[in-house]
Amino acid sequence: MTQSSIPTPARKYDLNFARWVYQNVEGGDRLPLCMQCGMCSGSCPIGAEMDNGPRKLFMMIRAGMKEEVLSSSTIWNCTQCYNCVVRCPRKVPVTYILQGLATVAAREGYAPAKATAKFSRAFWRSVRYFGRTDERMVTVLYYFSYGIKEGIKRALANLPIAQRMVKAGRMGIGLPHRAKGAGDLRAILAKADEIEARERAGQ
Amino acid sequence: MSAQEKKLGVYLCGGCGIAEAAPLAGLEKVAVKEFKAPFCKKHDYLCGEDGLKLIRDDAAAGTMNQAVIAACSPRVNQDKFRFDGVQVIRANLREQVAWTQPAGVDDTEMLAADYVRMAITEARKIKVPVPYTEGPFSERILVVGGGLAGLTAAREAARAGHSAVLVEESGKLGGNALSYTKVVPERPPYRQPQPNPIHELIAAVQKEPRIEVRLNARVVKTSGMPGKFAVEVKQNGAVAEEQVGAIVLATGWHPYDAKKLGHLGYGASPDVVTSLELEEMLAKGQVRRKSNGLAANVVAFVQCAGSRDPNHLPYCSSTCCTGSIRQALQIVEAAPQAMVYIIYDELRTPGVAEEFYRAAQEAGVIFMKGKVKGVGSDLTVTVDDALLQQEVPLSGLDLVVLATGMVPNSVALPADGEDVPLPERDIDPLSQIPVAGYRNGAPAKSSGQPAVTYKGAPILNLQYRQGPHLPILADGFSDSHFICFPYETRRTGIYTCGPVRRPMDLAEEAEDATGAALKAIQAIRNVSQGEALHPRSGDLSFPRIGLSACTKCRRCTVECPFGAIDETAEGYPIVNPTRCRRCGTCMGACPVRTISFDNYSVEMLTSMIKAVEVPDESEEKPRVLVLACQNDAYPALDMAGIARSPMSPYIRVLPVRCLGSVSLLCVNDALSSGYDGVMMMGCKSGDDYQCHFVRGSAMAQERMMKVGETLKSMMLEKERVTTLEVSIADASRMPGLIGSFMETVESVGPNPFKGM
Amino acid sequence: MSKIKFTYYPGCSSQGAGIHLDRSLHAISGKLDFEFETIKDWNCCGASVGHVKGGALPSMALSGRNLALARQQGTADVVTPCAACYLNTHFVNERIKNDAKARGRVNEALDAGGLSYQGDLKVRHVCEVLVNDVGIDAIKDQVTNPLSGLKVAGYVGCQTVRPFAQTAPGGEFTTYDQPKFLDQFAEACGAEPVPYDKARTACCGGSVSIYSPEKTLHLMRLILQEAKDAKADVISTPCPLCQQNVEMYQAAINKEFGDSFNIPVVFYSQLMAVAFGMDGKKDAALDCNMIKPDKLIDKVK
Repeated sequence: MTQSSIPTPARKYDLNFARWVYQNVEGGDRLPLCMQCGMCSGSCPIGAEMDNGPRKLFMMIRAGMKEEVLSSSTIWNCTQCYNCVVRCPRKVPVTYILQGLATVAAREGYAPAKATAKFSRAFWRSVRYFGRTDERMVTVLYYFSYGIKEGIKRALANLPIAQRMVKAGRMGIGLPHRAKGAGDLRAILAKADEIEARERAGQ
Repeated sequence: MSAQEKKLGVYLCGGCGIAEAAPLAGLEKVAVKEFKAPFCKKHDYLCGEDGLKLIRDDAAAGTMNQAVIAACSPRVNQDKFRFDGVQVIRANLREQVAWTQPAGVDDTEMLAADYVRMAITEARKIKVPVPYTEGPFSERILVVGGGLAGLTAAREAARAGHSAVLVEESGKLGGNALSYTKVVPERPPYRQPQPNPIHELIAAVQKEPRIEVRLNARVVKTSGMPGKFAVEVKQNGAVAEEQVGAIVLATGWHPYDAKKLGHLGYGASPDVVTSLELEEMLAKGQVRRKSNGLAANVVAFVQCAGSRDPNHLPYCSSTCCTGSIRQALQIVEAAPQAMVYIIYDELRTPGVAEEFYRAAQEAGVIFMKGKVKGVGSDLTVTVDDALLQQEVPLSGLDLVVLATGMVPNSVALPADGEDVPLPERDIDPLSQIPVAGYRNGAPAKSSGQPAVTYKGAPILNLQYRQGPHLPILADGFSDSHFICFPYETRRTGIYTCGPVRRPMDLAEEAEDATGAALKAIQAIRNVSQGEALHPRSGDLSFPRIGLSACTKCRRCTVECPFGAIDETAEGYPIVNPTRCRRCGTCMGACPVRTISFDNYSVEMLTSMIKAVEVPDESEEKPRVLVLACQNDAYPALDMAGIARSPMSPYIRVLPVRCLGSVSLLCVNDALSSGYDGVMMMGCKSGDDYQCHFVRGSAMAQERMMKVGETLKSMMLEKERVTTLEVSIADASRMPGLIGSFMETVESVGPNPFKGM
Repeated sequence: MSKIKFTYYPGCSSQGAGIHLDRSLHAISGKLDFEFETIKDWNCCGASVGHVKGGALPSMALSGRNLALARQQGTADVVTPCAACYLNTHFVNERIKNDAKARGRVNEALDAGGLSYQGDLKVRHVCEVLVNDVGIDAIKDQVTNPLSGLKVAGYVGCQTVRPFAQTAPGGEFTTYDQPKFLDQFAEACGAEPVPYDKARTACCGGSVSIYSPEKTLHLMRLILQEAKDAKADVISTPCPLCQQNVEMYQAAINKEFGDSFNIPVVFYSQLMAVAFGMDGKKDAALDCNMIKPDKLIDKVK
């Protein structure tokens, strides 16, 4: 695990972790207003797949359960349907906070083996180099992130669908689509990374 | 007015469908031919200008001083049908005849005719009430208690022009409110604690010339009646008597004894404190630990400490959640890095307090839902955390604050130099509604409610036959049904306000005290005119007891819900008229019918019952008497009429002041006159009573248990008599309730006493 | 007749899995008097999953570049057909417009690519434009080949209306729970929208369905089951990811749950193209649907 600037609570409900989340996670500034009504967890279509629903996750943040929060499956399973966002009576941006926590967790090295993290890395690779997501490249990168053997297995398993997609004209067999200004885009993204690192260091 | 002086006039209104339902000519015949009324006039629209003029002209001409008005319900148009020097008697031909019965059929005409008969009979038996005006009546108000509630009551009374004497047992004004550094917000945006209003209020009262403040003073005893209370006040050893017209009790509250909360850590560490103790710490500036003087930066509030707990106070004290939020906000404002937790089971932040709660959340206060299992000597609070669904040790705390509940000061606190041995200070929180009657300390028998024991001295020490205490409800408070009769206690002319009545915060207290002051003023004004108070406001009658027939059975003195009747040395009852609310429970209790009101008596009721024409058995038209209380049952019947609900034509409704005023004789007379059944409809009884006279329905139920014997001796079935509790909202149930009783009566068969 | 001009942001799926949406939209634009000018050299918006690896500011910068490029082309409203593209682009646009700090940070990043953007465009979803700018009546006017008797289940999905439905001006588009526009489109085309209230805005699992479909098969099943119960001939949808997921995973669902689903999933624009009497392949792109929408194909003139 990388050296972390995230405070580690000394006891349950030590608020240093929660306060860090309020400041550093997108949408976290509205976390204090959560009144634990459970509307979010109740509205979540995939809630049963999560180890903790969003409501409980937010209380765990308050309780300083940093490890459990950043390792929870909640942040990886969100399908971003925004049911919680439109229904929260306190207008807590639940989906955005979960996304933000996933970003933090990925950066800090929590759950690198999670499918979402792997897929996101493959996705981002394509975006950085081509400016666009090439579906073939993303899926291939994703499959092989599990290792050669597993990669081949998955690729073969999905081959029939891939063939049908090609036949239907929805998957090309040529070179990846790219934006001409992909280089400019890379420069912009690098700059954005730099700004974020600078902001993190400043705290 | 004697019988010779009565000049009766009968007025029949045909409007609102009455004439279509029952032709007025037939009713006129009843009035003039049957009852020999001097005259009977008909009009299409009696409440209009022409109709009223008709009546007014007769009154002015001196041909009539008693008007039977057969028209709409007596509950409406009272202002219209009011004429100087005329006694008005109403018959309800609209809501209870024209609007519930088919037009132009025999049964409807018979129903209307019977109501005319009853009204004329009432006119024959009724007297114009001669009010009780034996003064002098005082306009002064006594306020007991110098906290925010008492100060507000005194100030509001003074602003309305009345002088007040404020009796406070301690050496200073302000009560509990004096110790608050800030208060829960009562002005928008409701997000920040606000300054304490008590100081301004104390200054205002001290400046007010109409208010006499007596510090270090206590009430020794209270005798008399509203308008004429004689109160002995002891101040610094000297006793003086005050004459007052009404009394406001605002003795406030004290916090639940935290020494009983050892399971929450109180006593084991000096850093476990109560809300009031925290307030003292806040007054000194930054909150510091008592143990070592260091700043308290990690603080946990434990809500419901000894509240909503069957082993301590069973009730919620309503203000502790917002109170803790206020204190939490003050801590965080002084030390933004402080970690403050409020541990609750349910959080009660009603109405605008939701904004206050939100503000606390935004300021970083953490709200934890869970039950506190214990507090260790190292201040670790073990919480059964309902939101995390696990047991959590909350450690690292500097301070634990127990939010304890309010205990009302319904009995006197022990004072120095007092030679009367005073038992414990707390009132038994599980006390029940007290029973009338403390004869030699033992409670008299009554309608199933257990006796209460007051663990403390009576504050007002009422010299009433029914005992010295102001009756309280469950949990020691003197609250009253806030819809039916707010502020009323069970002693007329004595009003409670503030937390002694029910738990409330300062903003509510101010409103409450203002209301009580207004009630006190109302009492004074009505009483000086000889008028009754709520709910029979304006009634000039009061109970008259014929002592020659009295057997000293004491039922009236025991059963009066308001302690209005005392006993003389020989044991005869003596009425204190201004204490009376004119319900007639005494009248219903008296076995020898020797209690009556000028305008309401057993004789009047039984005569009205007998005035109804009971058809022969062969006609197969049963008759059922419905005795309906005027507070809930009669209005419900009216409202069934307004809804045009068809009703059985065989009922004859007789409105009574309270079911408590119904004597068994009424039922006996009805049955022996050939009625096939009797329904008694009254208000809800029990702990959560809605009866405006406290126990009317309950008394009726108890008395009717004895009617079984009477029925047996008359060889009648017990199904013929029933008692029902209804509320004013039961209009839609009325047809059904009556319908099913009619079925019972019909299945039992006609009364064999018909035609005898 | 003057055409309404929009700056068009196609999104990555328009090149691949969602190519039939793009093609049919362009086809009907000709008939409906609106014109798309594609953003030159647009890049990916980050979709739903990009931010995890990318981070908050880089993800915003992706849409920032698109908006800056769009702005260079003019001040027409930016319009996108893809739900996730709409979500991201609109969200970032609002942030840049209303949050000075965000505006500063994004522009600092954009500057590294020689671009800047101050938030003076509007970002809209194609369906909202069709409802409010073009109008249902105008759609009806172009129908020469009504799809009579075709039963259509209007599956709107989640991101098209949540959370931004209320930022679109007026119309039925503003309802989160029961948006009516897909049914209105179907009706305008002469087809018969079936009752579809439970699954209308349910989630298909989104990107989670791509990489962990075992977690979301049951969600897609709900969508299919209600359509089957309502005896729909086709499911219509506005979102390329929904179209792909609901179509592609029917075999897996049948295997897992023992069902026998085989319901074609089409875009509303494909329905319109057929209803306007256009070519089934070139315009309506019906050859791109993996489950052949036979009943719709039969209607092609």
